[in-house]
This record gives sequence, C-alpha cells and structure tokens, in this order.
Amino acid sequence: MTAAGWITMVVVLGVAWGGFAFTVWLAIRRESEKRR
Amino acid sequence: MSVEPKTQEYFSSRWGLLLATLGMAVGTGNIWRFPRIAAQNGGGSFLIAWLIFLFLWSIPLLLVEFAMGKATRRGTVGAFARLLGGRYAWMGAFVGFVTMAIMFYYSVVAGWCLRYLAGAVTGQLSSLDNLEASTAFWERFTAGHSLLMSPITFHLVAMLVGALVVYRGVARGIERANKFLIPALFAILVIGAVRALTLSGPGLEGSPMAGLAYLFTPDWERLLDYRVWLEALSQSAWSTGAGWGLILTYGVYMRQKEDVVLNTFIAALGNNSASLLAALIIFPTVFAVLPAAEATQILQESGPASTGLTFVWIPQLFLRVPGGSIFLILFFLGLFFAALSSLLSMIEMVARNFMDAGMPRHKAIAWVGAGGFLLGLPSAYWLGFLGNQDWVWGLGLMVSGLFFAFAAIRYGPERFRSRYINTEGNDLTLGRWWDVLIRWVVPLEFVALMIWWSYKAIFQFDREGWWNPLHPYSLATCLVQWGLALGFFLLIRKQLARWADPESSS
Repeated sequence: MTAAGWITMVVVLGVAWGGFAFTVWLAIRRESEKRR
Repeated sequence: MSVEPKTQEYFSSRWGLLLATLGMAVGTGNIWRFPRIAAQNGGGSFLIAWLIFLFLWSIPLLLVEFAMGKATRRGTVGAFARLLGGRYAWMGAFVGFVTMAIMFYYSVVAGWCLRYLAGAVTGQLSSLDNLEASTAFWERFTAGHSLLMSPITFHLVAMLVGALVVYRGVARGIERANKFLIPALFAILVIGAVRALTLSGPGLEGSPMAGLAYLFTPDWERLLDYRVWLEALSQSAWSTGAGWGLILTYGVYMRQKEDVVLNTFIAALGNNSASLLAALIIFPTVFAVLPAAEATQILQESGPASTGLTFVWIPQLFLRVPGGSIFLILFFLGLFFAALSSLLSMIEMVARNFMDAGMPRHKAIAWVGAGGFLLGLPSAYWLGFLGNQDWVWGLGLMVSGLFFAFAAIRYGPERFRSRYINTEGNDLTLGRWWDVLIRWVVPLEFVALMIWWSYKAIFQFDREGWWNPLHPYSLATCLVQWGLALGFFLLIRKQLARWADPESSS
C-alpha cells in the first residue's frame, strides 16, 4: 500500500473508530458522574 | 411547548436509547451497500468524501431530528406542524413518505438476508461449488419458482417479525430487541474482520492486504468527479439515517433530561465504524480469494439493485476460505440482524404518525405491517422496480434532509440550538459552528449537488435518457416521483395539519 493509502487508513479509522470509542467512553464517564 | 401526553412511553435508559439508535443507523446499507459504493467510487477518495459529509451533512441534520422529536413528542408530520405551524405539516409528510417508500423494499432485502441465512444454516449455500451454481440459486430464488421459498414469503416473514417486535412497544419491544441485536452484530463484524484480515493458506490466489490497499488508497482525480460526492452524500445519509425521520421518532421516546449532542455523535460515529468493519470483511476476503484484477472487477460490478456482490459472490468467496461455512452463517446472521434492527425503526416511524392521529398502537402496527407487505410486493416480484425505488428514494433523502435544515432555519438556528439542543442534562454543549452548518453549508451542499448532478446528466452521461421518467436511473424518474409525492402532500396540507396534530392546525 502506498503512503497515501496508509495515511488515509489511519485518518479514516482514527476518526470513525477513535471517535466512536472516545464518545462512548465520555458517555460512560458522564453517566457515572450523574450517579454520584 | 407543553407536549408530554399521559401515555408517553420512554426508553428505559440511555444505553437502551443508544442501542436502538445504533440499530436504526446500522443496517444493510453498511454491509450490502457501503462496500460496493466505496469500490465503485475510488476507494480512499470516496472514504474522504464520505467522512466529510458525516460532519457537514449527517451530524448537523441528526441533531435537528433528535431535538425535534424530543421537543415535540410527535412523529414527522406532527413534529413539523408543532415546530413551524400546521401549514408545514406537508414537509413532515414528505419525509415520512420517503422513508416509508424505502421501508417497502427494505423489508424485501431483509427477506433476502433471511433466505440466505436459512440457506447457510441448512448447508444449501455450501453446495454451490461454482459461480454458475451460485448465480442460478439467486435467479431461481428471485424468480420465485417455489412460492414457499420466494422473496414474497421471506418479505412477509421479515415484515411480520418486525411488526411483532414493534407491537410490543418501545421499551419492551424495540429496546429489548436491540439490546440483543446490536452487541451481537458488532461481535459478528469484529470476528469477521479479524478472520478476513488474517486469511492465508493454499487455495487463496491473492492477499488480504491487497484488499486494504484497494479500499484505502485514494485516487485523487476521482475527487473531481461529481458522482463520488453525490454517492458519498447519499451513502452518508442512507447509512446514518440523516433525513429519514427515524432518529426523530426515537427522540420522541427519549427522557426529558436525556442528552442530545453526545448521543448523536455516538450514533453517527458508531454507524461509520460498522460500515468500515463490514468493508474490512469484504475487501480483504475478495482480494485474498481471487487475483487482484478479478477481485477489482467483481467489486466494481454489481447485479441489479447491487445484489451481485452480496448474494452471488459472497457465498462463493467465503466457501473458498478455511472455516468458510461458519463464516457464511455469521455473515448472513449479521446482515439479517442489521436489516431487522433498521426495519423496526421504519415501522415505528410510520406507525408513530398514525398514532399521532389518534390510532391505537396495535391498530397502527397492523396497518403498517399489512400495508408494508402489500406495497413491498412489486419490489419482491421485480428487481428492476426495487433498483428504481432505491435510486429515487435514496436520493430523495437529500430533499428530506433539506426540509430538516429548513425547519431549523425557519425557527432560527440559534434559538433552536439554545431551546431544544442545549437543554438540561446534555453532556456536551453544541457551539455556534452548528448554526453556520445548518444555515449555510447544508443548503449549499444540496443546491451544488443538485445542479452538478442535473448538468452532468443532461449534458454528459445520460444525454439520451435523462428526461425519461420510465428510465429506472434517470434524473426525470426522481423528479417526477418526488414531484408527485410533494404535489399530493401540498394539495392535502390542511387536512394533514388537522390529522397529525389538531392542536397546531389552528
């Protein structure tokens, strides 16, 4: 795979999977804060 | 707006709401549609455009929808009427109609998935040892040679299962089903992607890495092709559910202190994550089993209504990899779960509009189930009709999206944001950037893509057939069918306002 392909892969997966993981983590944290 | 009726149902928890929302968004579009569209539109170039539209089209509109549902506690027709006044109810009717038109053929596609799941479980698919056999199996099935094993029967089963789940209500039906369907679907997708990426051994003529390279390597010139952008927007809207009125419908059942902003981002990003997982199953498998040139050709070609890859090639390809029979069952199980979880939201969306007009849930579901089955029959009989409907109403989501943007603009983006989005209980505060996106960027995207598409169709790629409404993939077939629906709803706009929300019609 070319360098452009690797960069695109990191950006696309980073935004989608990274973003999803981060927002779910944030929601879990906020929910536990609300419960406290 | 005092809108909480005594009989109001709610999702029992944030996670219940989120799983249902993910179930709505993650559908066959992620598995059946996304890999093919990505393959046909330049791989990495398409992914860039698709990701841009997630933030510049889908998320801004999903925020409007979620907030409208929560604020008005009404389905699409009543939500437009309550927010903007009864004379705008026709816009909500058009939005609901587009999604209902998609539901008619979506149930047929869900039925196909169920048929192939049955075929994988009983070993029928494993006996298809060459491409001719696989094609013949598909053609025999869609031609309906045996009524018991025809698309009509499986369309009926899919609609029945969906209607029965929704009949049980929001928390006991939709939420409970999605609590099982969505974690199971994500587990299947992860297992499938890991398996596809680690394929190796005798009998495999290519490499899974070639699939990754094909998926992610951008072809910069393709970014100048309007079709890449049109397909990217359409796919983003199709897949996230932006403009469908579905997340609006689930918003009706979110608790008053529930977050809007963070939940929207989770649903949208989770949806795109699922699409990428599906692509990581399909691309590496195709490129591992076949030589690169053949793999490229298969990914770019598709049968009518994009059936070729999923229903003809996938059984063939998976059976050539070690443990392929199990892989095949998992694939079609995941596909059916994805289809069912989305079908539930469509049935609820249509039924919600009937319930707003005073019809009890059980009656509304019975009407939607029976009507959905009957009006899905043309698509079950004839693939060409299904292909046309997918083209017309898939693109019709752009018009629906524009209507949601119009609702926010008409109400005043800043006022809408402060009154309905940034409410008590929110985990994130939505900034002014959203006002700019919804007021300027979303309408501009619509206008630019419509002009670009029309110009290219008339003067370049469809000079012979663009004006012909009987041509299944023409510009005219879209404009005529959208126009008929819009004209009808405009004609009965006063009745619509009274029907959907008597309080606002004055």
